[in-house]
Amino acid sequence: MKRFALLLFVFVNALTGQDEGMTMPDEPKVEWNGNLDAKYSILRFSTNSPIARLQFFQQTIPDAASQYRLEPYLQAAYTTPDVSFLMRLHAMYYDDRRSSVDLFEAFARYNPSIQTSLQAGKSVYTWGKGYAFNPVGFVNPVKDPENPDLAQAGLFSAHAEYVGSFSSGPIQSFSALIVAVPAGPALNDRFGDVGKTDVAVKFSALLWDADLDLMTYQSATAPDRYGMDVSTNLLENLEIHAEASVAQDVSRASVQDGFVKQVLTDAFDLLAGIRFLSSTNTTVIVEYYRSGIGMDEPEFQSYRTFLANAADEGSSAAVQRALQSNQSFFRTNTLMREYVYVKASHPEPFDWLYVTPSAFAIVNVKDGSALAAFPVSYKPATNIEFLFWPTFLLGSDTSEFGTRQARQRLELWMRVFF
Amino acid sequence: MRHFLFALLLIVASWPLYAQDANDLLKRIDESLLPVSYEAYRSIVNEEPNGSKKEFSFYTIKKGKDKIAMLYLAPASEKGRSTLRVGENMWLFIPNVNKPVRITSLQSVTGGVFNNADIMQLEYAEEYVASRAGGSDDEIILNLKAKNTSVAYDKLKMWVAKEGTSLRRVEAYSSSGMLIKTLEFKQMKDFGNGLVRPSVIETHSPLYKGYRSLLIYRSIKSRTLPDEAFTLNFMGRLGSLR
Repeated sequence: MKRFALLLFVFVNALTGQDEGMTMPDEPKVEWNGNLDAKYSILRFSTNSPIARLQFFQQTIPDAASQYRLEPYLQAAYTTPDVSFLMRLHAMYYDDRRSSVDLFEAFARYNPSIQTSLQAGKSVYTWGKGYAFNPVGFVNPVKDPENPDLAQAGLFSAHAEYVGSFSSGPIQSFSALIVAVPAGPALNDRFGDVGKTDVAVKFSALLWDADLDLMTYQSATAPDRYGMDVSTNLLENLEIHAEASVAQDVSRASVQDGFVKQVLTDAFDLLAGIRFLSSTNTTVIVEYYRSGIGMDEPEFQSYRTFLANAADEGSSAAVQRALQSNQSFFRTNTLMREYVYVKASHPEPFDWLYVTPSAFAIVNVKDGSALAAFPVSYKPATNIEFLFWPTFLLGSDTSEFGTRQARQRLELWMRVFF
Repeated sequence: MRHFLFALLLIVASWPLYAQDANDLLKRIDESLLPVSYEAYRSIVNEEPNGSKKEFSFYTIKKGKDKIAMLYLAPASEKGRSTLRVGENMWLFIPNVNKPVRITSLQSVTGGVFNNADIMQLEYAEEYVASRAGGSDDEIILNLKAKNTSVAYDKLKMWVAKEGTSLRRVEAYSSSGMLIKTLEFKQMKDFGNGLVRPSVIETHSPLYKGYRSLLIYRSIKSRTLPDEAFTLNFMGRLGSLR
């Protein structure tokens, strides 16, 4: 808390700075827009998957199943030069009994000057330069590497930001961001512990034509984290980026002797990648990601055996225990240590108007299993998009992606924007 | 022989002045096209080979020689996107992703024949060195060579009206000499405050047979802008300047 007070003091001084004499329109703008996603999916299950056996306990695992859902997104914004408000709602509808509404974002912002802003509410942060993974995303929502562009829910927080721009010297711009993350309402479901307010800080600069960020996350209840990222264009058609983060005493879960155990360990996460545009207009993204707390191969086999044994045992208590452990300790999109992500997309090949096919794969370097997908986007008219998205999980039954409950998935999306 | 040597000496001696003249002309062309610092409303219309059209609307701000930013206003599927260029660095901000991502000058965020370098064009004199390449009674032809390899097109050939230094046509070539696209400057319009310039830039390319794209300037206004409006942090807030 003292750290936060000190950092806030620095910002209060910065906030008194005046911007250069410029005039701005003061007419408020109220805008709203959104989109409706209708998604139909067909999944082919793996009968050997221990996760499928647990999910379909005391039922026959179907060979294939379908799902139809609607996802409306609605955004409203009120903007003046110094005050703004934004709200973004997302709903998920399966049927009248199974539907939900999520507040993705709702925040108010005050800009005392062009250089400074104060923001409070629920906001999405997207730290890091990686496309599929972000080791330095300390305040980010959990990213789905299968669809990194999907809108997600923000963090209940408040922040202050200072931005400076320089017309000479190697630093072209500089910014500092302080984020306060209050403790959740643990006391009587309404009050949080003041001493458990977390603080995240990020310093950014455009230095010698490279984007550079240094960041930290300081917490009374979780390990302190430190990270940095960088991104620059080596050529006019080649961008490189990298992220690294370190943390001490991170809780790491593994299965030992049939039980889930948590041990504290130091973690070093790393990402390095490129984005390349070929002369034929094909965009290629390649990233290497190393998770500091990911499992090695023997640990993954222990985890898989743990799930399989619970399914074999056949008691509902064992199944519930295994599912709960899986949800609590092993719910990340990637469980092991090293991955390579590759994506290629090419707009309108073979003169196919409005069609953009792409292909991507997330490959587990250690066991060779992979998730491969081939989305095809078709935009026949303004504000409408159709998406055909087959996904295949490749690998042996004992590999990471081979262990997942579905072996194939086909999604059909219709998106209308307004 | 003496006459030949004298003529050669004269050409060599006058060459720097000749080149200087071409670069001064290029600066005057830049000045005639846009104010140093401005805001503008522009549209891009992409025409497909089957006759269908897609239109995008932007709010654009530019400051000095190396900063330009654009906010997508329409269609709804693109609304809120923004692009920023500082020198040769370019970024794209997508509201859903909420993060600026580096893009390249050769990419096209709108599709069609225009690429990012065309839409976020800085001043020609900043990126190219000019030399005269002949002309006719009513126009001058300039050859432009990129100052470095990070510029989108290695060479440009430019046709300029002798009266008023008005730009008429630009051909863009790769380093191998291949014609990449042709830009035609059309429909002179008075934008106020003495700014009279072509309001439509039409482009076509042998690489995109049957396609045509139009960049239409709806309004241009001189405006003093802060440097901070051209930073990654401001990309999600560009709308507050409108």
